[in-house]
Amino acid sequence: MNNKITKYYPIIPVLIAYSVLFIFGRNIEGTWQLVATLLFYCALGQAFNIFLGMTGYVDFGYVAFVGVGTYGMALSITRLAHIQELGAVIIVIGFLLAMLMSTLLSLAVGAVALRLRGAYFAIATIGVNEGFRFLIEGARIWNGSEGMIFTAQLNQILGRETASSLMTFWADIIVLVIAVLAAAVTLIYMRNRVGYALTALREDEDAAKVMGINVTKYKIIAFVTSAIFAGLVGAASWALKTPYVFPPEVFEIHYTIEAIIIVLLGGAGTLLGPLVGGLIYGISKYYLAIFLPGFQLLIFAPIIIVIIVMFPEGVVGMLKQRTKNTVLERFII
Amino acid sequence: MPLLKLDNVTKRFGGLVAVDQVSLEIDPGQFVGIVGPNGSGKTTLFNCISGVFFPEEGEIVFEGLHITRLPAYKRAPLGIGRTFQIPRPFNSATVRENIAVGAMFGTMAGQISVDESLEVADDTIQLVGLQEHRDKPAGTLTPVEKKMMEIGRALAMKPKLLLMDEAMAGMHPNDIDNMVAFIKRIAVDEKIAIVAMVEHIMRAVVNMAEKVIVLHQGAKLVDAPTKEALEDPRVVEVYLGHPAEK
Repeated sequence: MNNKITKYYPIIPVLIAYSVLFIFGRNIEGTWQLVATLLFYCALGQAFNIFLGMTGYVDFGYVAFVGVGTYGMALSITRLAHIQELGAVIIVIGFLLAMLMSTLLSLAVGAVALRLRGAYFAIATIGVNEGFRFLIEGARIWNGSEGMIFTAQLNQILGRETASSLMTFWADIIVLVIAVLAAAVTLIYMRNRVGYALTALREDEDAAKVMGINVTKYKIIAFVTSAIFAGLVGAASWALKTPYVFPPEVFEIHYTIEAIIIVLLGGAGTLLGPLVGGLIYGISKYYLAIFLPGFQLLIFAPIIIVIIVMFPEGVVGMLKQRTKNTVLERFII
Repeated sequence: MPLLKLDNVTKRFGGLVAVDQVSLEIDPGQFVGIVGPNGSGKTTLFNCISGVFFPEEGEIVFEGLHITRLPAYKRAPLGIGRTFQIPRPFNSATVRENIAVGAMFGTMAGQISVDESLEVADDTIQLVGLQEHRDKPAGTLTPVEKKMMEIGRALAMKPKLLLMDEAMAGMHPNDIDNMVAFIKRIAVDEKIAIVAMVEHIMRAVVNMAEKVIVLHQGAKLVDAPTKEALEDPRVVEVYLGHPAEK
């Protein structure tokens, strides 16, 4: 009985870290923008980790799920704004639509691509992202390459003041909640059959099958879960925070690369990894852009190489080793 | 009813016939040695039984159930466990977690909670003597410890049939003796049918096997009680070649 609670203790450091981040941003003048950026990266990492970290499969088309999530919210706002009785419910519908769309896309992609392994899977998924973008642009789906701008509708639904506080503050809080939920789901998975199955298939897929694990089923579970959180991040951080959507922006492979860096930097498959990775990546990127604009990547690339060479298991992987047989062992996973 | 029955099983890789019309029967709780030189089709035969490959021809029946084309992951819950020639631990997971995976997805799958699986793992760790290594990542074990862990992982599945692929290859003679005694004990105590595959006719295995099946170039050469099999001139020829002409 006792064990049932203690095994979920590792959520405590996660909650503390996000609370500190929130308090910091709220109380120190002019830092909210930085905190918002960090929350975005942490949430993105937290979501991606459920797939990349837990299965060891690299999805280069991951940002497509963030993209369709953004479209889910955009469609809900633009198509439903005229129904006045709905009011803020439109935002809720937007989140549900974002989840639905990312689920459907991940099922479609997963059904085909998850049959492939390793590098083949990674290459196949690059095509998904680019393909989806060109499909939207070429077939003129959802306004095609013109995209959608929906600031006016958002103002109409919520009123100018509420809409403005949503864009500058509440959207970030929603991203924070998404990040915490993604971390909680990660921990729940880790402590249940799903987590054991995913670890087994990540380490040796054939041995896992012979041990009785339906590897396809568990890969799809991780893929869809991860995609749903990505869709939510898109809906909150891209659609609500900046109420417009253009295909080349939301299907930008650059974000996938950032998510991969965050997960690997922090520690793939660890609970705290995406949080630590997101903070390191977000803070360095933010300050490099201020102090050495234009040189960020030139400086950042070697730093990442050094960190990954020094801590192949990521920062949290290294901390896990260091805290072995200490009181902290129970909290750092 | 035999526990496992193979009926004319054939597996080809392109033009190569890796397993050639093999038929055999294993009874519940029986200890069977499968012997054959390198390339005789032993591992492929194991892969057909555990579902890694599907044979082109023939039938595989486990407890009266046709499993010829059943996916590998559905065979473990029926009670087919196996170990690999080169151990394949889940490296980053601890010994305890590795073994718990066996309990979770083996014959008790669906009836056992994660915590109960971990308890089964603790018992199994005692059995295979890895108490000191319980919380170490499996990747850090020595080769012999990895073998023991893999056997533990398979035992935690509570299988009815355990396929052991070269369980003793590359081991020190002392370790082999311990291993043999151990396998013998679990075969009796846990009532598991054990099919141990070895490249060479090892006295250790042969002494305790009830019957020996000799494979040669994919086909079954001999299938007889141990003593008989060893004296069979065809077996002698496979291993030692023709007697020199005088």
